[in-house]
Amino acid sequence: MNNQLQSIVLDWIPNHSMVIDFGCGDGTLLRRLAEKKSVAGYGVEIDGEKINSCIANGVSVIQQDIDAGIQNFIDMGFDVAIMASSIQCLRRPRNAMQNILQVANECVITLPNFGNWELRLGLLKGKMPSSAQLPAKWYETKNLHLCTIADFEDLCAEESFNIKKKVYLNSRGSSSWLANTFPNLFAAEAVYLIG
Amino acid sequence: MKTVSEKISFIDTLTLQSGDVLSGFELMTETYGELNSDKSNAVLVCHAFSGNHHAAGIKDGEKKPGWWDEIIGDGKTIDTKKYFVVSLNNLGGCHGSSGPTSIDAESGQPYGASFPEVSVSDWVESQKLLADHFGIDCWEMVAGGSLGGMQALQWAVSYPSRIKKAAIIAASSKISTQNIALNEVAREIIKKDENFLNGNYLTKGKSPQKGLKAARMLGHITYLSESNMRKRFGRKLQDPENKIDADVNYEVENYLQYKGEQFAKTFDANSYILMTKAMDSFDPAKDFDDNLVTCLANAQAKLLITSFDSDWLFPKEYGFEIQMSAIKAGINSTYIELQGDYGHDSFLFHSDRYSAALKNFLNSNE
Repeated sequence: MNNQLQSIVLDWIPNHSMVIDFGCGDGTLLRRLAEKKSVAGYGVEIDGEKINSCIANGVSVIQQDIDAGIQNFIDMGFDVAIMASSIQCLRRPRNAMQNILQVANECVITLPNFGNWELRLGLLKGKMPSSAQLPAKWYETKNLHLCTIADFEDLCAEESFNIKKKVYLNSRGSSSWLANTFPNLFAAEAVYLIG
Repeated sequence: MKTVSEKISFIDTLTLQSGDVLSGFELMTETYGELNSDKSNAVLVCHAFSGNHHAAGIKDGEKKPGWWDEIIGDGKTIDTKKYFVVSLNNLGGCHGSSGPTSIDAESGQPYGASFPEVSVSDWVESQKLLADHFGIDCWEMVAGGSLGGMQALQWAVSYPSRIKKAAIIAASSKISTQNIALNEVAREIIKKDENFLNGNYLTKGKSPQKGLKAARMLGHITYLSESNMRKRFGRKLQDPENKIDADVNYEVENYLQYKGEQFAKTFDANSYILMTKAMDSFDPAKDFDDNLVTCLANAQAKLLITSFDSDWLFPKEYGFEIQMSAIKAGINSTYIELQGDYGHDSFLFHSDRYSAALKNFLNSNE
């Protein structure tokens, strides 16, 4: 997660809240949340190497497949759920979205925008595109359900998810006029606070 | 690795959960490494069902190393260059600590079946006195697998301020119905041995070794996974020259015969029954309206809960249940599932992910 994105997430999450981070990776975000916001955090991760990094980082982590296990975390008392660049890796993202708002009152979702012009251009050239946000080759990617910002916001409208805040970032990770005016074309990444 | 074996006598009166009182007792201990000046590097390792104080290294004249030798030692997962590791034979055991084979001062005879019932929390009480003996205010970690993991959990509940980390491995907050059932079969086999004599075999110079052997053979199967047994033995026939018993056909039979026999020579039948009873009755939530969350509410230790997917004796759902209760109780707690080739026994052996997780946990700071 780039610095800009991280500082947005840090800013949105209240002090002393209880946070669950689905797809927490090596636990860096949770570690920073604990340091800066005195957050009590738990990560959910499936990758063994990353789990061991969490443990080394002093971050509490639960080994669990998000698709299969997200409903285990309903009514556990979480204030905020985070799903940073994970939703597109799920088998059932719609189901996960429906559950995540039962896990916590608010959730922070970040996602790579597949509608970004650089990716569109890549596809126009007839090849699966790649970018800083989506670096893996098509045969190696963990992404199963990529979407554009417009797609995601359509889903939120259909499911009546209330987008409380959103920030669009360009490919350099900053919030530019272009990215905010034509997000579906110029944003590389979007971050939402949904509740 | 600096190793010290010592039998320590306690003059303290220990009131057991059963209401019975032990006026003084002995614990057989083994320590590895050195306690630092502020006594902050101490790790307690708790043995499983049939373990003992000898956790690491190879003793003179023996071939097999201690039960957790793959994990404890210089430069190993629990690094004895850095940590002072305390291991003991639990109360009620038969490897030097007070138990059914000890002499009852009142009668001058071995306790036998009259040795009081001992629980996991009684063990923790005795281990607390052991910590006092060493001047250890707070364990950096208490760790164990199976019944040992239950002790680590009980430590976090009983003495919140005296334990920083608990590694609860291949364990549960209470055993399954199936597990109680298996224990009962084992007890039945032992009790029906003609030499058991209601547990008073020692005074009569007898030993119910046949029963103990058969009980262990059953137990041994439950510690392994089906796939492990298949890979290791398959349906290979035992070569005739090394048959333990003429009736043996397959390698796996011979293996169980051998293991059972070896075990029966070194273990005490009353201890076996006592340990199974301690395992059956372990249920720290029972005193909290069966609510594990309330039970854990005062705990302060960080937890590492580890389950193995090939373990059918302590299925991973049991570890996960502790984890979920710990979250609700607001405890820093991590839950991992490891593959483990050896079924329930996987906790005994080094594997890269397992060792890395345990090591990172032990070395992590707030």
